[in-house]
Amino acid sequence: MFRSAMLFTAAVVAAAGVFVRLGGSVAHAQTKAPLEWGEDAAVRPWKRYQGWPVRGESKFSTLAKLVSPPPAKEPRKLGAPLAGNAENGAMLVADRNRGGSCLACHVVGPAGGADLPGNVGPDLSEIGSASREDEYLFNYIFDARVYNPETVMPPWGAHGTFNDQEIADMVAFLQTLKTPAVFKTELDDPEKRPAPVERRENLDPIENPGMWAIDKAQDLFTQKMASGSSCSSCHADAQAAFKTWAAGMPKWEPRLNKVLGVEEFVTRHARTTTGADWPMETDNNRVMSVYLHFLANGTPIAIDTSSTEAKAAIERGKELASRKIGELNFACTDCHGKSADHWIRGQWLGPPKGQYDHFPTWRTSLQAIWDIRQRFQWCQVNIRADELPPDAKEYGDLEIYLASQSDGQKLSVPGIRH
Amino acid sequence: MAEKPRLKLPKEAKKGAVIEIKTLIPHAMQTGLVKDKDGKAIPRKIINKFTAEFNGKPVFSANIEPAVAANPYLQFTAKVEESGTFKFSWTDDDGTVTTAEEQITVS
Amino acid sequence: MRRLSRRAALAAGAGGVALSVVGWHGKARAGVKEAADEVAKFVGGATAEKGKISIELPEIAENGSTVPLTVTVDAPMTAENYVSDVLVVSEGNPNPGVITFHFTPMSGKAEAQTRIRLAATQNIVVVAKTNGGQFYTAQKQVKVTIGGCGG
Repeated sequence: MFRSAMLFTAAVVAAAGVFVRLGGSVAHAQTKAPLEWGEDAAVRPWKRYQGWPVRGESKFSTLAKLVSPPPAKEPRKLGAPLAGNAENGAMLVADRNRGGSCLACHVVGPAGGADLPGNVGPDLSEIGSASREDEYLFNYIFDARVYNPETVMPPWGAHGTFNDQEIADMVAFLQTLKTPAVFKTELDDPEKRPAPVERRENLDPIENPGMWAIDKAQDLFTQKMASGSSCSSCHADAQAAFKTWAAGMPKWEPRLNKVLGVEEFVTRHARTTTGADWPMETDNNRVMSVYLHFLANGTPIAIDTSSTEAKAAIERGKELASRKIGELNFACTDCHGKSADHWIRGQWLGPPKGQYDHFPTWRTSLQAIWDIRQRFQWCQVNIRADELPPDAKEYGDLEIYLASQSDGQKLSVPGIRH
Repeated sequence: MAEKPRLKLPKEAKKGAVIEIKTLIPHAMQTGLVKDKDGKAIPRKIINKFTAEFNGKPVFSANIEPAVAANPYLQFTAKVEESGTFKFSWTDDDGTVTTAEEQITVS
Repeated sequence: MRRLSRRAALAAGAGGVALSVVGWHGKARAGVKEAADEVAKFVGGATAEKGKISIELPEIAENGSTVPLTVTVDAPMTAENYVSDVLVVSEGNPNPGVITFHFTPMSGKAEAQTRIRLAATQNIVVVAKTNGGQFYTAQKQVKVTIGGCGG
């Protein structure tokens, strides 16, 4: 199957006059680089990275399918008065094992020691003096969409993160809150905590281990692969050839009928030229992507939006960015839009612009290089949605939308981030 | 992890100047407290000692514990009175010693 | 569909996250007492005075994997009067020891920078020893960020 797909690929491309094999070397026109398109660009079936949370979330929507239960239309009527245990409620609101805890978004009085709470949602430290009915608070936690369809708050009860008794316990605790939170230090107060400032020199290899990928990629670039040729067989002067290329990625690729980013392009181009096996989310693919972006550093991001297909992909990406997914029912835009420039616990949420120009990036917390697709996957797993394979067409749409939002920003790769 | 140490220091300096030296060696710095996916402890393996000499005389050294981050980084200073050679060494728990040298011209 | 080679699949896995990013996930912490014991061993019965030391750490570390730490001790660094050893200990890591710097008059300054692992918000304690056998100490708190989405 693979062999025939490859032959098919080569035949079609050659017939289109895109490239011709001449004595083992490949010459091709400027317009279309050879690509293999009969296979997946990443491992199938997709297997989540080792060390990531193993839970499956098939009951909830992903970027590829809409399956989450619809929101309730009416608040639930509680037959009997709530009998909650406030002490257990105090523990639950600060339980980081349940989707991050209430403190991720709210100051909640003394809960969790008022240790670095977030400020996406209102301060709840005096909610007990607000004359709210238990039933109202219960429903707000159970599924806040009955009061506010635009809310970013997860439907904690409707999606099963907490059961009715646990929600009653949290309500009992909230009703005890009547005085402003007391913070141990000013840094704990999200209203006073200074936004982080990035001062690291991301292109200094003594500061950013992500830069070590450049040396590795330069070696790979000249290594002869399965076909007997190397990248440098065709691209003798990499610096000249790729001076701006990555700044125009991702792009709509009619031969695959999807958006290709640098990483998938590398996989598919290498397969059909040098024969190198560099699937997405493997080390060689990552270092080549870092290198190709690095060569275009300083070039403003300029996505080709001229075709109707590219425009349509950006529109789809925009829709995907606002799609509610996962158990926590978050859309990209909930955090990196509506809640931008706020804290979720101790982490600062930046706006969409500026989320793309530094990928692939070195992640200090994980001591690894991540490309943008892995970053998408990580966000999704953390909001308790199933991720897609890195070469999924939905990620292509999302990536081209995100890149278009960063239009004009200059590439600076590899970045260095949390 | 057979990567070379990375060094950053001036090639030239004025006599009596205090220069800044940055060093880094690629190393995972396994603490011995981490388990692999099968639940087995990954043995401790760190760089436990760093030394810097100038023309054979000690300038700076450090005893390093597992609390130092992966790819141990050390930045320090040296007062240079003559031209010569800096020699740096990193000692691994397994006994391996990695060395690197850098010349400086002092005028 | 073609199956990717086993090597490729393994490489894909290796690109993932080590569960214990800081290097000692879930381990019990040492504490104030263990840190104090380390300091006691270092000073050997002498008293460490407060002062002369400046500790540079971020107020909030974005994570505990690689936190820049700079220690500077105010000293002439002459053959007659210099800081010889600087101990750095942690009050909130699994083990108190972090690093010990050794200076000579050729160091020019008693100043060093490294990057350290922090298991949690805690105090870092620094003790400096001079060639004359005097000790100085200082400490600084560093908060380690708590992430948003939890586990």
